[in-house]
Amino acid sequence: MSALAKGTYFWRSAAQGVRHAPFVHFIAVITIAIALFTAGMARGLWQLLDSLIATLGGQVELTVYLDQSAAGWRAEEVAQALRHGSGLPAQVIPPEEALARLKLQLGELGSALDGLPENPLPRTVEVTIPPGRRTPEELRALADQARALPGVVAVDYGEEAVQRLSAIAGAARAGGLLASLVVIIATIVIVSATLQLAIYSRREEIEIQKLVGATDRFVKAPFLIEGVLQGLLGALCAFAGLWAFAAFAGPGLQSLFSFLLGPRGGPDLITPSLVVELFGAGAALGLCGSFVAVGRFLRV
Amino acid sequence: MDAGLTQPMVQFFHVYKAYPGDPPSLSDINLTIGKGEFVFLTGPSGAGKTTLLKLIFCAEKATRGQILVGGRNIARIRESAVPYLRRNVGVVFQDFKLLPHRTVADNVAFTLDVLGVPRAECRERVMRMLKQVGLEHKASSLPLRLSGGEQQRVVIARALVNDPTILLADEPTGNLDPALTLEIMGLLMDVNVRGATVVVATHDSTLLERYGKRTLRLERGRVVADEDGLKAARRMVAG
Repeated sequence: MSALAKGTYFWRSAAQGVRHAPFVHFIAVITIAIALFTAGMARGLWQLLDSLIATLGGQVELTVYLDQSAAGWRAEEVAQALRHGSGLPAQVIPPEEALARLKLQLGELGSALDGLPENPLPRTVEVTIPPGRRTPEELRALADQARALPGVVAVDYGEEAVQRLSAIAGAARAGGLLASLVVIIATIVIVSATLQLAIYSRREEIEIQKLVGATDRFVKAPFLIEGVLQGLLGALCAFAGLWAFAAFAGPGLQSLFSFLLGPRGGPDLITPSLVVELFGAGAALGLCGSFVAVGRFLRV
Repeated sequence: MDAGLTQPMVQFFHVYKAYPGDPPSLSDINLTIGKGEFVFLTGPSGAGKTTLLKLIFCAEKATRGQILVGGRNIARIRESAVPYLRRNVGVVFQDFKLLPHRTVADNVAFTLDVLGVPRAECRERVMRMLKQVGLEHKASSLPLRLSGGEQQRVVIARALVNDPTILLADEPTGNLDPALTLEIMGLLMDVNVRGATVVVATHDSTLLERYGKRTLRLERGRVVADEDGLKAARRMVAG
């Protein structure tokens, strides 16, 4: 009964604290909101890069372009030679199928291809490379073998692009982690500074609490809860910002990335796990800031 | 009441208190205050009355000597145990220490909040206490809207609402007119009659004479007399 009453008192006291110094708490909430919004956007960007790498990585294949005049039987010969030489599956893609695929990838713009007088795409042979054999050396050897076959005019494989994208994603992730660390520290410093002001404005109350028998924990608890409240309010603001971004800018970005990721586009920005992470991170940031503030300033 | 006949509540053994760079505020204090006793502390300003009260509720630590409160040696008490000791000691501060932005009821409830008393029970006890001090109609007022006497009664209500075993009052009637002084003293007497040990620091010789209670006279940090109120009052008037 006593613990419940104390708990109720702590929350009531924390809410009173927020009401007592609204501007100070507003600054802390906005700081947390900006930090979490930025983190949410970075999370979305990482997911997009991951999804891009997975899409491109899953499609690593060697594409052999045949001469425009090469007949179907020639393409079959090339495919068979490659199957035989590498032991990998090779498939002939007729010009009609290549055109249909291109239309799908272009999405809304694909209808522009309907106006073409004739199909400009050549026959191709696609060799699917399993993950274990995607080494630069193997790909180069296979490409050289393909180029030597009659009727072949060009060979292309996307390994280089995947490697570059992986490097970019790695750099983005490292940079993002570093930036997040800086943002987290700055947020904790700002939150703790605002709570120090709140503690200072209530020093009389703290003194009287101590004189009537309040323990250190009793004095500190409402300030820790204030920090958590700030964090949760900041998370709510950040969530609103991310939701608005997803609602207004999301459709445009989806169609932009459908070119690379197919008609479904990139991953959703707003997910249940994002909500959990935002509110958890908000509460943790607020709590850390208030811990620093009560530890440094509330020497009761 | 003779302290020798009752169980001791507060005992000082060779207690010294000194602040760096200043002469000692208290020197070699030896005294015993019995359970349920009413004691006046008197003496000129700077004699050490407030310091002595502060030592009892651990707002200050003795430089030397032993202090027993309720049989517990508070000179050796751990910092974390101080709040639990204070819950048994009600203090009426000379400067009131009321929170100006909280209502009278909230100020009185402060003591119960610390104890974790449920809200409904807290409200009931606060109203009962305010009724005792004649302020139930001011429960929703802010302290600054009250007269000095009313503010003093709020402080007394806050000190008594959790039924402390010891009540310490530092010049509780210092700024009050004679009628209000009697009113406040009547409240303190009632508390004493109900069993609490009451220690009142005062300059007012008329109070010592009127109530005739045991009086400890301090001068320059030493107890120079331990006598009944009448003698103490006459000495004050004469000297």
